[in-house]
Amino acid sequence: MDFRQDENSIRGTRSRRMSRRSRALAGALALLTLGACGSLRNPPPKDPDDLADYKAANDPYEPANRKMYNVQMWAYHKVLRPVGKAWIWAIPKPVRHSIANVNETWREPSVFFSDVGAGKPRRAGDAFMRFAINMSAGVAGFFDVASLVGYKQHETDPGLTLGTWGVKSGPYLFVPFVGPTNIRDGIGYGISQGLTPINYVPRGYDLLTFNWAYNVAGTMEGYASSIDQIDHLEQDSLDPYSYIRSAWQQNRQSQIDTIKGDDRATTPDWYN
Amino acid sequence: MFNVFSRRTVLGAVVSLAVATGAAHASTATDFVNSFGGRLATVVNSGKSLDEKKKEVLPLLKENVDITGIGRYCLGKYWRTATPAQRDKYISLFDQVLVNTITDQIGNYQGVSFRVTTTTSTPEGERVNALIDRPGQPEVNMQLIIGGNPPKVVDMYGEGASLRMNQRGDYSSYLARHNGDVDALNAALERQLTHHQ
Repeated sequence: MDFRQDENSIRGTRSRRMSRRSRALAGALALLTLGACGSLRNPPPKDPDDLADYKAANDPYEPANRKMYNVQMWAYHKVLRPVGKAWIWAIPKPVRHSIANVNETWREPSVFFSDVGAGKPRRAGDAFMRFAINMSAGVAGFFDVASLVGYKQHETDPGLTLGTWGVKSGPYLFVPFVGPTNIRDGIGYGISQGLTPINYVPRGYDLLTFNWAYNVAGTMEGYASSIDQIDHLEQDSLDPYSYIRSAWQQNRQSQIDTIKGDDRATTPDWYN
Repeated sequence: MFNVFSRRTVLGAVVSLAVATGAAHASTATDFVNSFGGRLATVVNSGKSLDEKKKEVLPLLKENVDITGIGRYCLGKYWRTATPAQRDKYISLFDQVLVNTITDQIGNYQGVSFRVTTTTSTPEGERVNALIDRPGQPEVNMQLIIGGNPPKVVDMYGEGASLRMNQRGDYSSYLARHNGDVDALNAALERQLTHHQ
């Protein structure tokens, strides 16, 4: 159990989410293939207590999800963790921060449209200003100047926006190299890719190289900043799969509640 | 006219009573967090060694955290099926696991100060939001659920997730995969404590 709500961990989660793009399709296909098999779905139990737990977990595809989780953790221990450790050792902290900043800034258009979709003009305005300031004064997103002038980073993605509209999450899914998700957030993830401008940049040789560098750096940064968290979780938890499932689903719901409750005025705080 | 006035008066009285009771509840929870948090901060910020700090924090946790209640919640439906001996053993192990989890964090906090920001009522108890300041580090937002009489911490929230609910998911999942055998859970907790440095 980790009682801290640490900015680094949040930053890690963000980078990780961002860096999933190139691997999402393979993972989703693998899961869909497995999910189609009936034997990988748990039928609802008869006992009322078990049924309550079953509903709370929202994980009818648990057998398939656990297999996917094991694949992910195998890759984590064999490859991602050692490479991530090497990344932390080799890359200076300021550079790592800048990579995380670039990832955050280039995702702002998706955050902006998600905020607009959720009907939250103040949040949308903050995302717009962050993008404008960091892309110019922040040198294409390498420096988070916007935070210094009062536009703090926040997360909204299309999955959360759908959640604020009352769209049900659908069953929990664990997709290798993407992590915990569900049907709604999986669809939201697809939408967010459509709202991210870098995906529309023409693919000349140089740009392709750049795009690879951007994605690989983002991926490494995402894993590297999560290593401590994952290690703690594996050490402190008897069934890390279940712990992640519970924490992730509650966290998503709490983000939806936060967006719904964010009724700040569009005028700056000092004006009110 | 008199009737209307009197109805209004009665309504007003009822409303203000309700508000006053709510406020009183909130202030009990806030007072509790201020006092418990203040005592914790004093120990954590003192110049003593880490081991000494852990020793001093222990009685504070025992007094102010509803360890038995949280432990019982985490066992879920298996609490009913467990024998009294299994329950006793489980609670004593859970007590150590929880205390370790909290005291492990002490080293990460130096020169801390905190302030209560908001309090809201929830079915589980009063939810108190507190901001913890550490010099040179980002603020940590912590939510505590305070319930019972005398008030105690019955749950904590981290990143929007109830930690006792996470723990319950963890244990019940483990038990479901071990045929509901509480002895197996106790053995796993014992192993966890042995490996704890």
